[in-house]
Amino acid sequence: MPHSIRRLASRRQLLFAAPAAVFLTIFAIYPLLQLMRMSVSDVTVSTLNDPWQYSGLENFQTDFASPAFGETVLNTVIFVTIVTLLGLAGGLGAAILLSKSGRWTGFILGLLVFIWALPPVVNGSVWKFLLGSSGLFNSIGLETGLTTQPIPFLFDDSIALYSVALVNAWAVIPFNALVFRASIMGISPEVFEAARMDGASRWEEIRHIIVPVVKPTTLVLLVLTVVYGFRSFDFIYVMTFGGPGVATTTLPFLGYIQAFVRFDFGLGAATAVIAVAMVIVLAVLYARSVRREEANS
Amino acid sequence: MNTAVNESVAKSGDSSRPSGIKARFKSPVATPLRFVLFLIYGIPMLWIVLTSLKSPSDVISSQSSFVFIPTLDAYSEALSNSGLYTALQQSLVIATGTVVLTLLLAIPAGYGLARVDSRITTVGLGMLIVLQMLPQTSNVIPLYQIFGQWNLLNTNAGVIIADTAMLVPFGVLLMRPFFRAVPVALEEAAKLDGAGTFRTFFSIMMPIARNGIATTGTLIFLLAWGEFLYAVNFFLTPNNYPLSALLAQQVSAFGIDWPGLMALAVITSIPIMVLFAFTYRLLREGLTLGAVK
Repeated sequence: MPHSIRRLASRRQLLFAAPAAVFLTIFAIYPLLQLMRMSVSDVTVSTLNDPWQYSGLENFQTDFASPAFGETVLNTVIFVTIVTLLGLAGGLGAAILLSKSGRWTGFILGLLVFIWALPPVVNGSVWKFLLGSSGLFNSIGLETGLTTQPIPFLFDDSIALYSVALVNAWAVIPFNALVFRASIMGISPEVFEAARMDGASRWEEIRHIIVPVVKPTTLVLLVLTVVYGFRSFDFIYVMTFGGPGVATTTLPFLGYIQAFVRFDFGLGAATAVIAVAMVIVLAVLYARSVRREEANS
Repeated sequence: MNTAVNESVAKSGDSSRPSGIKARFKSPVATPLRFVLFLIYGIPMLWIVLTSLKSPSDVISSQSSFVFIPTLDAYSEALSNSGLYTALQQSLVIATGTVVLTLLLAIPAGYGLARVDSRITTVGLGMLIVLQMLPQTSNVIPLYQIFGQWNLLNTNAGVIIADTAMLVPFGVLLMRPFFRAVPVALEEAAKLDGAGTFRTFFSIMMPIARNGIATTGTLIFLLAWGEFLYAVNFFLTPNNYPLSALLAQQVSAFGIDWPGLMALAVITSIPIMVLFAFTYRLLREGLTLGAVK
């Protein structure tokens, strides 16, 4: 590789990145700094454009002291765990099912990509309807006599979080399935032929060929799915708006509610700063797992 | 999802290959399981369409869930509302504006970061990954305040800028592998022929990477079309809402008119369906290259 030549000639190609760097500094980095400043100030919607009163760590203390905060953190953990486990398992399962050509394969693949392409607000609306008291699931339950009255999937504090998490997992499976599938399709057909000559069953193929091959991909997808679950707000916004009470409010959504519903921008900013800090930890993990995979490939 | 690009995943597999593995023997469980998968994803889609063809009274009585007289009332009502056309126009303006602005920034940046290996590149890429992973619910808080100061609230420009700031990291990380795949020797040859850096970029690199540009553009369009959080908060009245924001606002309201809402959902999805039909291949490959939702 003519590495040295490339180096000499092309440092100035970094200039091509300058417009994006300037833009992101103004509209992404500066807002982030402003968010941090806001989190240590006493700001409400009415004092938003006045000079802010410095309040130290008061917002963080208010946050930690409120019972809703603890509940929200717990919600986030449950939510992210369900989305991640189901998202990865479902994604791998779907990828294995769709890695062989067969009836339905092409069609289902198209359907999955289409679902992925649809705005989350559309998918969320459908699921809100399907899970409603006169929705599909309750209609089936009532008509078959399985239930005597509608199940409040989205209105009961103990069920709602699981309902929204399941729908989020449903929404992330298509993406995970496609990434897993790409890595399975990269296995050379000869490997499977050799396995078959040795009399391996499909199950053995999955365990001994597919699972080891997709392992590095799983690591990357793990972090991506955790991040997806963590920052997900669209389904929560559309289906429950964090309710009933705070039953379906996750940490990033709490910050939004505090700022835009309760108009306490300082408090909302403090919660958002905590969420951002968590994402930075995840991003470091992600960068590491990508680097490790690149080193292996 | 949001989230990130992963060259190595792209390298390890090529989904454009029709089928790497041939079904030599039929597994007895695969076909029924595939059917289950089809139901899990097909039924919600079917249900949007069915509900949009019902009259509101049919929706409330659960007996008519499966048997009902189809009607286009919900559509004619939605289409007779002039607000819908404004929303459709807003969606188009915001999504197109975001695509143009994002590509203008992300294409050259992807090229620059693909060609220079230095400390700055590593730091830059790390920052892009972090920016891409930030929760949008956190970004909207300071942006609301900053845009208020800069008179960008209640303008299309404000929403386009916010969407672009959210999507540029994704765009750069998606474009970079496409430029990296082009051999450096090609550029060196152009340079020997006397082409400058800019000329090489425009007349050699851009045409070669056009597939990447198309993929990135399509994905950005899809994401910008579905974005609603910035729109809902930055537009001060629903009169200026794009379709996605209108849908988000109506679905969170009490006493929802479901057929009307589902008709709106179908109308919101139609442009996506058209785009999907033309770019399925690109999407399928782009999806495995970079991740978004």
